[in-house]
Amino acid sequence: MVDDVSATITYVIDRLKSRVGVEGPPVTITVEAGHVRRFVEAIGDPNPRWRKEAPPTFLVALAPPSTHMGDAEEWGKGWLNGGNRFEYFARVMIGDQITSKGHLADVYDKAGSSGDLLFIVFETNYTNQRGELVARLRGTLIRR
Amino acid sequence: MNVTAGQELPELVKHPTTRQLVQYAGAQGDFYEIHYDQAYAHSVGLPGVILHGLLKAGFLAQLVTDWLGDQGTLESFEVSYRGIDEPGRPYRCRGRVTRVEGRTADLDVWGEDESGKRTTVGTATVTLAT
Repeated sequence: MVDDVSATITYVIDRLKSRVGVEGPPVTITVEAGHVRRFVEAIGDPNPRWRKEAPPTFLVALAPPSTHMGDAEEWGKGWLNGGNRFEYFARVMIGDQITSKGHLADVYDKAGSSGDLLFIVFETNYTNQRGELVARLRGTLIRR
Repeated sequence: MNVTAGQELPELVKHPTTRQLVQYAGAQGDFYEIHYDQAYAHSVGLPGVILHGLLKAGFLAQLVTDWLGDQGTLESFEVSYRGIDEPGRPYRCRGRVTRVEGRTADLDVWGEDESGKRTTVGTATVTLAT
């Protein structure tokens, strides 16, 4: 008898694997003072520096981390965030126009203590209005 | 700023609330229901709504930028989410300098729950101002 769950996870992985490295459509958004203010208020970070500059994790608020989450949702019951890695090359100031370009970097599965886990690794590059690469984000999402 | 290996960063203790999770969901644009809908959180096997991993990353980034001030630049920052955290419980952000070489310093950073368990662990690299 075919194990339905593993058949489905294999199907989802195969489909996602065919998209590894394919860049999604770029998204360009202006870093707005009010958006940054709401973001640092939510964190509870009153540093006056964030009146002019975006704080380190703000980039995640500019574009959805992965455009492939919908495909993976055909399998499993929920998401976990596995981790994030930020690399910074230039400061992001309020008023900057940031273009995010993301791609799926890796897909794999692992046996967890309470069943299979599907790992989706995505990478996003952020450039500013002068074409300078300002940051790179690598994130791991776990479907369980 | 005098930075030496083994030095601890001043601790940052957060007291996250469900209201804050809603604020963060809106500010980041992450509307996954496990962060504000108790019934939904229970339906996927969680004890209740939980903190966004990236909110905890934001807390740990604050730990580093508060310590660093204008004395350096954050070059990289990496976190792994090892456990869940619920609102209504204190979240302690801590860090330690692990290595200093020239103007570059590496840090370990982590977030602890009430029991002292490190539910988020990470590293950061900073370049110190001359």
